Amino acid sequence: MALQDYLRDMEGCSRCSSCKWVPFNQVKSWRFAKNCPSVTRHNLHAFSGSGKMIMGLSMVSGRSELNDTVTEIIYRCQLCGACDTACKVYRDDIDLMDVLLALRAHCVEQGQLIPEHMLTIDALKREDNVFGEPKARRGDWAEGLDVKDAVGEKPQVLFHAGCRYSYDPDLRETVRGAVRLLRSAGVDLGIAGADEACCGGRAFELGYQGESENFADDMVSRVKATGASVLVTACSDCYAAFNYLYPRMGKELGVELYHITQYLEKLAGEGRLRLRQRVPKLVTWHDPCHLGRKSEPFTGEWKGDKLLRPVTMKRTGKKGVYDAPRNVLKSIPGIELVEMERIKGYAWCCGAGGGVLEAFPEFAAWTAAERIEEALATGAEALVTSCPWCLRIFRDAVEETGALLEVYDLTELALVSAGEGVLAGGAAR
Amino acid sequence: MSVEEARREFVELLGEENVSWEPAVLDCYAWQPTFNDDPDRWVKRPVAVVLPSSTEEVQEVVRICNRHGLRFKSFSTGWGAWNGPTFDNVVQVDLRRMDRIVEIDAKNMYAVIEPYVNGAQLQAEAMKVGLNTHIIGAGPNCSPLASATSGWGVGHDSIYMSYSARNLLGVEWVLPDGEVLRLGTLGSSGEWFNGDGPGPSLRGIMRGSCGALSGLGIFTRCALKLYNWPGPPEMEIDGIMLDAKMEVPENIGYYMCFFPDRKAFSDAMYKLGEAEIAYNALATSFGGYFDILTPRLFRKIEHADSIRSMIVNTFKYTLAILFAANSARELAYQEKVLHAIVREHGGFAMDVTRIKDFFSMLFMSFVRATIPALVFRMGGSFSTALDRNDALDSQAAWREVVREIKEGYIRKGQILDDLADNPYFVPYENNTWCHCEVVYQYDPRDPKHREALEPIFLDVTIAAIERCMEPLFTSDPRVRRLISPLAGNFSKYQQAISRGLDPKQAADNTLYSAEADFDFSGIDPQRVRRLQEVVEQRRW
Amino acid sequence: MAGKKGSKSGLREALAGLVGPDAVSDSREELEVYAGAGEMPALVVRPSEAAQVAELVRLANREKLNLVPVSSGPPHIHGGSWPLKGSVIVDLSGMRRILRTDRRNKVALIEPGVTFGQLQEAVEPLGLRVLKPLMPRANKSVIASALEREPITIPKYHWDMNDPLLCTEVVFGSGEVFRTGSAAGPGTLEQQWAEGHAQKNPLGPAQSDLVRVVQGAQGTMGVVTWATVKLEVKPQARRIYFLRESDLGKLIDFSYRVLRPKQTDEHLILNRWALACMLSEGAEEAARLAEKQAPYTLIYTLSGYEYFPQERVAYLEEDVGRAAQVSGVVPEREIPGVPLQRVWEMLDRPCSGRYWKERVRGGWREIFFITTLDRVPRMMEVMGEVLKRHAWPREEVGVYIQPMQLGRNCHLEYGLFFDPEDADAAAKAEGLCREAAADLADAGAFFSRPYGGWAEVAYSRCPDTVKALRMVKDMLDPGGVMNRGKLCFQEVG
Repeated sequence: MALQDYLRDMEGCSRCSSCKWVPFNQVKSWRFAKNCPSVTRHNLHAFSGSGKMIMGLSMVSGRSELNDTVTEIIYRCQLCGACDTACKVYRDDIDLMDVLLALRAHCVEQGQLIPEHMLTIDALKREDNVFGEPKARRGDWAEGLDVKDAVGEKPQVLFHAGCRYSYDPDLRETVRGAVRLLRSAGVDLGIAGADEACCGGRAFELGYQGESENFADDMVSRVKATGASVLVTACSDCYAAFNYLYPRMGKELGVELYHITQYLEKLAGEGRLRLRQRVPKLVTWHDPCHLGRKSEPFTGEWKGDKLLRPVTMKRTGKKGVYDAPRNVLKSIPGIELVEMERIKGYAWCCGAGGGVLEAFPEFAAWTAAERIEEALATGAEALVTSCPWCLRIFRDAVEETGALLEVYDLTELALVSAGEGVLAGGAAR
Repeated sequence: MSVEEARREFVELLGEENVSWEPAVLDCYAWQPTFNDDPDRWVKRPVAVVLPSSTEEVQEVVRICNRHGLRFKSFSTGWGAWNGPTFDNVVQVDLRRMDRIVEIDAKNMYAVIEPYVNGAQLQAEAMKVGLNTHIIGAGPNCSPLASATSGWGVGHDSIYMSYSARNLLGVEWVLPDGEVLRLGTLGSSGEWFNGDGPGPSLRGIMRGSCGALSGLGIFTRCALKLYNWPGPPEMEIDGIMLDAKMEVPENIGYYMCFFPDRKAFSDAMYKLGEAEIAYNALATSFGGYFDILTPRLFRKIEHADSIRSMIVNTFKYTLAILFAANSARELAYQEKVLHAIVREHGGFAMDVTRIKDFFSMLFMSFVRATIPALVFRMGGSFSTALDRNDALDSQAAWREVVREIKEGYIRKGQILDDLADNPYFVPYENNTWCHCEVVYQYDPRDPKHREALEPIFLDVTIAAIERCMEPLFTSDPRVRRLISPLAGNFSKYQQAISRGLDPKQAADNTLYSAEADFDFSGIDPQRVRRLQEVVEQRRW
Repeated sequence: MAGKKGSKSGLREALAGLVGPDAVSDSREELEVYAGAGEMPALVVRPSEAAQVAELVRLANREKLNLVPVSSGPPHIHGGSWPLKGSVIVDLSGMRRILRTDRRNKVALIEPGVTFGQLQEAVEPLGLRVLKPLMPRANKSVIASALEREPITIPKYHWDMNDPLLCTEVVFGSGEVFRTGSAAGPGTLEQQWAEGHAQKNPLGPAQSDLVRVVQGAQGTMGVVTWATVKLEVKPQARRIYFLRESDLGKLIDFSYRVLRPKQTDEHLILNRWALACMLSEGAEEAARLAEKQAPYTLIYTLSGYEYFPQERVAYLEEDVGRAAQVSGVVPEREIPGVPLQRVWEMLDRPCSGRYWKERVRGGWREIFFITTLDRVPRMMEVMGEVLKRHAWPREEVGVYIQPMQLGRNCHLEYGLFFDPEDADAAAKAEGLCREAAADLADAGAFFSRPYGGWAEVAYSRCPDTVKALRMVKDMLDPGGVMNRGKLCFQEVG
């Protein structure tokens, strides 16, 4: 839908600024009451969810024009969706997240492009990944692993690593660990290797919705070609694309979809994954936006007055994946989970999403540092998450700030507990 | 006037990222649809927005405005049309970078805060030391400093925690000429514990029932009274609003009481006030709750007269009352008194703590006033017939008056059908006096609704004068011109205060001291005559 | 105007024309009563209704008079109404009508001459009680007390500094009549009553609270001609308790614990000398009584209202008792040497006969200000130093600590009593108080009610406040006819 199609949403904004705060029931302190990295960092109302909607309204009403300044404001946002969750506490008739996406699509349509994002899109077009790394090397990370080639060997479960895990050398051991963990549970697992491609979610968020759709089509055919009946991804971004974005675009993967945390929970529940080794650690859990509120399933598009839209069709952020990772953590002997103040649907973003890491790395780092502070405030020794983007930026932030905090992917702790690895230097080996 | 020069000086003072004159950015301050009767909903676009981070920067911003013939308009959290500019040459001062809780003096029960601390934040911190803060009915998204220094100030907790204006101690106030005035002890010794004196209290020119809405300068810090909180220091709640799940905290009681008629309700309310037992007390109608909890259902029962009548009349006089006791003994006593009063007045009391889901849903909604903003659900916006508070009996009568006005507009489809009877009825200070405003809901995107806003406002104004009430949107220059002669020509004093403190008239003071005429073109002559009649009848 | 313009007789004639000849006097004997430590006024005029007051103020503007409003009977103690030479005293003590009492809304509409005793007599049969300062003199005006922001003895009813004052009618120095709070209009009082109003909302009208600048103004802004005051329900059960302690810190700790949850009704702390003086007929008796008292006594009461009053007192007794235990103090039900009845009278009644401060030795000086309970010990140290320097016996200084605004701050008062015939003692007290005011202010004491010489102490510390106050004064009293020379308005008029 074009920006003007969201006119009712935009002019519905009462400017109450709830979008800037953790839902008020859950405000637990002065320090961690804010939910939106964009306006918290930049302060002008334009940076908030409300502000971006009003800018959209202003442009659609012919009061102002899209230019570089406005474009930058639109893109200085991780699209984390916290504003949408907060707004929807009180509103049934505004889909704030959709307006933010429409604003970006509008920028692209109008030729207002962010140079770093153009590089990403070029990379995608050229190499099927957001980094522009050679597509032929996409499967290198799995070298030597006991895992099927999904193309041809027809595994029951297709493991989708995603761009970040495939190419980030620092995270290679993490994703390899995930595969070892699944294999240790006897999962019939395959990877597509060089035939895996980007999910296209990032392109959608950058405003290149057409590109994204191409990737989705491509992904559907690739998955179908493997013959797998289950798809497990270790990447939260990909999970959100598969679970929400594809259905929204009318694309069906035709497989049972799991995020790795969900699948580990399932395996543990079935007794196939035995987490017996003690991992004595006080940890806190970071809900990745894409695993949490942004992965909420698509429930159809409501035509007409949203005030009359059934509640079941309103995305509230409540149906994200929140319990699975916590259940897995709690099932690891020795782990004590202490929650941060901003969690689940109102979790603070890691800072990496929405193209911010690429275009505005300083802002991304600031956002991550905020989360690190919040994690430290719990007294936890370690921050655990389950998204390569979150993992990357948190590890960088810890290094940058010198914070005494270990950062793990959930699979790393599970791997250790399953007796398949040891913790070393803030990562599992 | 040199806008360009001023902008340059702002950038020099605050840095580029804290100043903007980008049209789309400025429009984020010009879009003020709430409590805006203008069908256009845009207010004036400021010439710049600035983000100071300290009192000194605020002073300098104000001085720059003075030097360059610009006006300034500040806000804290910025919700409501009164936060926007009313002139063409206004610099919007967005105070969100001043967001610190400077101090909580737990012993002496006050907090010193900056403008962009919101009610939820202050409450969360206060509760950790066994205290609580008054949160206005508009919700915890609002700035306690703003409501105490510059706005109105009623809340669900007013029976125990008063009215925002009355909770002020020391105040730091940047006057419209850029000088700082510190009220009370703050001006003398730098301490915050008292706001009045020496001698006459300058709180008297700072604000009244309503504040100056930035028309008299910018408040940069203030001390606010905190109140006892015997509940848990941190709330254990799962869920974000109506989905909340929680256990009933120790020594907390929560009742919904229903009374058979207005007299029984009013009599009981007087008794409850005198018994000094309530921590929160909010009276409304059953419809008042359910139109926000089940808005879709309400849209479906429009014109279903028998169902409507049943809901309106069955639980019309509903009181939600919360106890936060200091001991189990105290709670038992409070509950016993409540039951006795309710019984004596032919009502019944439902113990909400025994219906856990309902309790969970409503508890923080009351303690933190998170529920009122659900009023947006029905149509996307609302307004309110907000008029001068006094004895409870006068407010109970007001409720009926506005209900009748609303019925007419509902019948014509010009506002949404919330069953018309939708009061926000709150006693202050153990019912020393009382507040009743009546909410009406509409869809601001519906031109028919927008066109009705002015006529409703006029009808409510006429009714208020008739009932000897000052319409509390006297911040509206038209109402000021109408009411001032009936109330000691207060406008003259406000204008004098404005001139005295703001020699160059740098503050955007339309909402404080301007006067204007109603535009009666298009209003039926009978209504205009009625207005003239009541004005004549209500002079003293 | 009749009479010879500018002459005293002409003025007298003009005033008589407004209020009647019997209500104007220039008798020296009568005028001396008002002079206090100030100068001799020229005339006293005693209006009997509000309209006359407005006319008087207008006349004062025309004739450039200095009007000094007085509502209470003598002696005029603090100096707020001590006139400059040639002033015209506007004695409102004759305006003694209780214009309305309203049981349901717990409010009385009264004229300025109404005294505490008079109001109590009128409202107690209705089941209401008057919020009052501790032991006001018999002829103390309720409105004057409220206008001076005198502390009341029940902190839980002192929500804000203007309590228990609600709405007023005031004639500003400009001669304009204004009504504050919900009395402001629209509508006459009668019309408002008919619509269910009771003039109970103290705020406004509109966007200023001009009553607050009239309060604490010592009559420099205008004259209040009637006001509503907040009343409270008379308890149906009441118990009194005493905490007798040498450690003031424990009493302060206890106060914080029970004031926060609004558990006590009357709540105040007296040192042994203040307590003894209040309960005695003179210094000798006071000295005997003081010997029996603890260094400090905290007096508090617990009350029950209409519903299950005894049960309320009972649970509070347990809860407050627990707080006492934590603070390390023991509530007692009596104090030595005094029948309880006298303590109750002290709390409940204005002084009968002579003012208690006058009873001690005839003359006294006092010094009072606002601080917080936790700052009281520091103030005591500062005062102790001053007393030492002046060799004034510490044991003969009365100390009264009255929590206000629900315990957020307190009135701290020191009383020095002496024989007025003893010029040395009087001078010593005078000098001591002057010095103490400065030292205490340096230590953070806030002279919220800056009478006489305290004005200099208070206002020298807040030049910005002075500037704003002068602006207000110019607005409300442009001719400078109201009580010249007070507060920070020396140059005005």
